[in-house]
Amino acid sequence: MALISVALGRLAQAFLLLLAMSLVGFLGIHSVGNPVFNIVNIETATPEDIRNATIALGLDQPIWHQYGVFISNVVRGNFGTSYIYHMPAFALVISKLPATLELACVAMLIAAPVGVGLGLLAGRQSGTVFDRIVLRSSVFALSIPSFWLSMMLILAGAILTGWFPSGGRGATASFLGQEWSVLTRNGFWHLFLPALALAIPNIALIARLSRSGTIEVENLDFTRFCRAKGLSPRRILLRHTLPNISMPIVTIIGLQFGGMLAFAVVVESIFAWPGVGKLLIDSIQLLDRPVVMATLTFISVTFVALNAFVDLFHAVLDPRVRLSS
Amino acid sequence: MESLPPQWGNCTQKTKKEGTFIMRSTKPFRSCLLSMLLIVVMSWNIFPGAARAQDELRIATSYKLMTLDPHYANLNENTSLLSHIYERLVYQDEKLDLKPGLAVSWRATSETQWQFKLRENVRFHDGSPFTADDVVYTIERIRDFVKSPNGGFRSYVSGIKSVSAPDPLTVVIETSGPVPNLPLSFSSIFVMHRPGQGFQTTQELNAGHAPVGTGPYRFESWSSGEMLKLKRNNDYWGDKPDWPEVTFRVIESPAARVAALTTGDVDIADAIPARDVASLKQRGAKIASVGAARINFIQFDVERETLPGVTDKSGVEIANPFKNPLVRRALAMATDRGVLVDKILAGYGTAAAQVFPNGLPGTSANLTPEAPNYEEAKALLAEAGFPEGFHVVLAGPAGRYPGDGESLQAIAQSWARIGVAVQPATSPFSVFNTRRAAGDYALWYGGTSGETVDVILHALLASPDPEGGSGALNFGHYRNQAFDQMLAKAQSIEEGLERNNALAEATDFVMADQPIIPLYHFHHIVGYGARVAAYAMHPRGWTTAMQTLPVTE
Repeated sequence: MALISVALGRLAQAFLLLLAMSLVGFLGIHSVGNPVFNIVNIETATPEDIRNATIALGLDQPIWHQYGVFISNVVRGNFGTSYIYHMPAFALVISKLPATLELACVAMLIAAPVGVGLGLLAGRQSGTVFDRIVLRSSVFALSIPSFWLSMMLILAGAILTGWFPSGGRGATASFLGQEWSVLTRNGFWHLFLPALALAIPNIALIARLSRSGTIEVENLDFTRFCRAKGLSPRRILLRHTLPNISMPIVTIIGLQFGGMLAFAVVVESIFAWPGVGKLLIDSIQLLDRPVVMATLTFISVTFVALNAFVDLFHAVLDPRVRLSS
Repeated sequence: MESLPPQWGNCTQKTKKEGTFIMRSTKPFRSCLLSMLLIVVMSWNIFPGAARAQDELRIATSYKLMTLDPHYANLNENTSLLSHIYERLVYQDEKLDLKPGLAVSWRATSETQWQFKLRENVRFHDGSPFTADDVVYTIERIRDFVKSPNGGFRSYVSGIKSVSAPDPLTVVIETSGPVPNLPLSFSSIFVMHRPGQGFQTTQELNAGHAPVGTGPYRFESWSSGEMLKLKRNNDYWGDKPDWPEVTFRVIESPAARVAALTTGDVDIADAIPARDVASLKQRGAKIASVGAARINFIQFDVERETLPGVTDKSGVEIANPFKNPLVRRALAMATDRGVLVDKILAGYGTAAAQVFPNGLPGTSANLTPEAPNYEEAKALLAEAGFPEGFHVVLAGPAGRYPGDGESLQAIAQSWARIGVAVQPATSPFSVFNTRRAAGDYALWYGGTSGETVDVILHALLASPDPEGGSGALNFGHYRNQAFDQMLAKAQSIEEGLERNNALAEATDFVMADQPIIPLYHFHHIVGYGARVAAYAMHPRGWTTAMQTLPVTE
C-alpha cells in the first residue's frame, strides 16, 4: 500500500515537472527568435514566402494558442514535425539515442570503476603521495573545460600519434533495429576518445567522493572491529567499506549518467558524435521548436526515471531504507 | 603514462614507513592496475586504426543533408549533396555560364514559349529511360504537390503556365509572361522520375526507398544530418565517375572538420576556416579556394525618420542620417576593406565593390574596391551636416559568415577615424533576423547569394514590392525608380552579352548612390589530402565528388 502511494506521489510529481518544463521550454524558445527565418532561405525568400511559412507552421497564432495545440498534440503522442529535418520530432530524438546511450554507458563504465578504485585507494592511504596525486589531479580534471580536454585528447590521441580517429561514429552494426558503434571494432575505436573525454571529469568526481567516504568509514568502530577480527584488508575494503560509501556514489553516478545522456553537447560537437546533446543544441540554434520540446521532454523523463531507479537501488544497497519503508 | 611507475614507487616507499599492514593491502591492487595498464598499452598495437576501403572517397562536409526530397527546400545544405543523385536540365559552369545537362539545347520559340531538347540514352538508377514526361512530372510536383513551409522551389516555376511533352525528347513550356532567363531556373531544379500514379511524398523519400535520379552516383544509405553513402552509377551517360564509393560525413564544427582532415579520417573537408589554412598546409594537406558568388555588405535603413541607436555625440536622437547619400558615401569611403580581407579573412576573401566578384557575368568593370580615404570622407560628412559625426549601433550576426563578428569591430575602428562612433552589436543569426525584422536596427551587416547578378540586384536593391516580388532583401527600403527601370529593362533581355552589359550599367548607376556598402566576397576553402590529386572549385560552393580528381598511380 505504502509503496503504491509513494509511486503515485512520484508519478504526480513527475507529471507536474514535465508540465512546468514544457511551459518554460516553450516560452523560452519562443522568446529567442522567430523560427520562420531559419525555415525559409533568408537569402532568397520573398515576404510572401515568409508569410506562407508562418501560416503553414501555425506561428501566426497567439502563443497561448500555440502552446495549447502543442500540449493537446503531445497528449496524443505527437510532438510535431521538425521544422528543419521534416521528420517526426520524437522519432528524430529516438534515432539519435543509440549514439548517446552507448557513449554515456562506455564513459560511465570507465568512470565508475576507475573513480571508485582510485578513491578507495587514496582514502585508504590518505596523506600519502598517492593520495595527494589523486586529490590534485582530480581538482585539475574537474576544473579543465571539456572542450579543451576534448581538443587535447584529439591532439594527443589522433593528430600526434594517429592511434584513434578524430571523430565520427565509424562503422556501426544493427541491433534491435538501431545502429550501434560499440558492436564493431572500428566503431568502438571511434567511441574511445569521446568516452574518455566524458569519463575523465567523472572519474575525478567519483574518486573524490569515494575518497572522503572511505576516510570517514575507515575511522568507524566496525572497521576497527573488522581489523581486530583479522579480516584481510582487501576484504574490509571491498566488503565493508565499499557498500558503506556507495550511497552517495550511486546517487552521483545516476545524476551524472543523466547529464551525459542529455548535455554531452561539447564533447559530441567536437568529436562529431551525432547524439542527443548535439541535436538539442543544433535545434536550439535553429529554433526548431518541435525537436527542442521533444528532446527536453525526453531528458526530463530520463532524469525522473534515473532518480527513481537510484532510489530503488538505495533500498537494495541499504537495509535501513528497506526497513524504514 | 610514463610517469606512473615512479609515483607508484614513491607511494609504496611511504607506506612501508607506516606499517606493513597497508603495504600488503596495496599489492594486489597495484599488480591488478599495472596489468590493466599493460593490457591497454598492448592493445594499442593489437588494434589497427580505422580500416579504410582503398577506393572510397570520404568527405567531411558542413552541408547538413536534411531531407532526401530534392524539391522540399531550396537550401545549399540539401542541394549540394543531392546533386550526386539527381541532375538538372542545365548547369552553371565555374564562370556561371549555362551548360547543357539533361537538356542538350534550348531556345525560345516565342516570347512566352520555350523548347528544351533532352539528352538521349539517359537512364535512371532503376533502369528506366529518362523522358520528357519526367520533366513534366518534376515541374508539376514542384508547382502543384510539394507543400513545404519554406516554399521549396515554387518560385522557380511560378511563371510557368503549362508544360507538355510533344515527343519523348522534347519539352515545351508555356509561360504566363516573358521569362527570358527561364533556362537559368532549370539550373536549380532536380529532375525526378515519374513513379507511375500520383506523386511521391516527402515522407516516402525520407523513409529511404532509394531515391532514383540520373546522376553519376547512386544512393546507398543515409542518416539525416549525419551521413550519406553513395555508389558509382556505372551506367552514367557522361564520363565515368571517378570514385567507386563516396561517403559524406556531416561535421558542422569547423575544428572537427580540420582535425578529421589532419588525421586522414577524410580525404576532403569543406568550409575550412581561413585561420586554419596555414597549419593544414604545414601538415601536408592541400588547399583549393575560389571567390564565392555572393556578397557581404552593410545595409542602411533609409526609410524611417529616426532610427534606434542613432544619436548625436551628446546622446540626443537625430534625424535618420542615412537618407543622405553623402553620409552613405562617406561611410563607404571610410571602410577599410583591406583589413577585412587581409587580416580577418587571412587573404581568403576579395574586397567587394559590387554584388559579385569582378569578372563574373553581369559585373561592371568600372567598379573596383577603393582604398579608404578618411580625409575626403570627413569632408563629405561635414558637407552633409555632421562635422562632429554621430553615434550608431552596427548590428550583425555572429558565426554565420566567415569574419562576420570581427568585421564589425574593424569597421567600428575605421569609422571612428571620421568621428562616427560605432557600437558593434552581434547576436546569433536567428535572433539577429528576428530583431532586424522587428525594426530594432538602423544599419546592419548582411549577406546574400544568388545564381546571377540580376537575381541579387532584384532582391537587394530594387524597390520593395511584395506584389511583383522585387526587393525581397531590401530591408532598408531603398527606392530608386531610375534603377528599377534599368534593371527591369536588363532583365527583359535574353541571356548573353547584351543583358550582361545592361546589368553592369545598372550596377554602375545604383552603386553611385551607395545604397549598401559592399564589403567582401569570402572564399570557399576546401582542404584535401594525399589521395586527391585536385579539387575543382565552383563559386556556388557546393562540395561534390564530381569536382574531386583522384590521384592515379
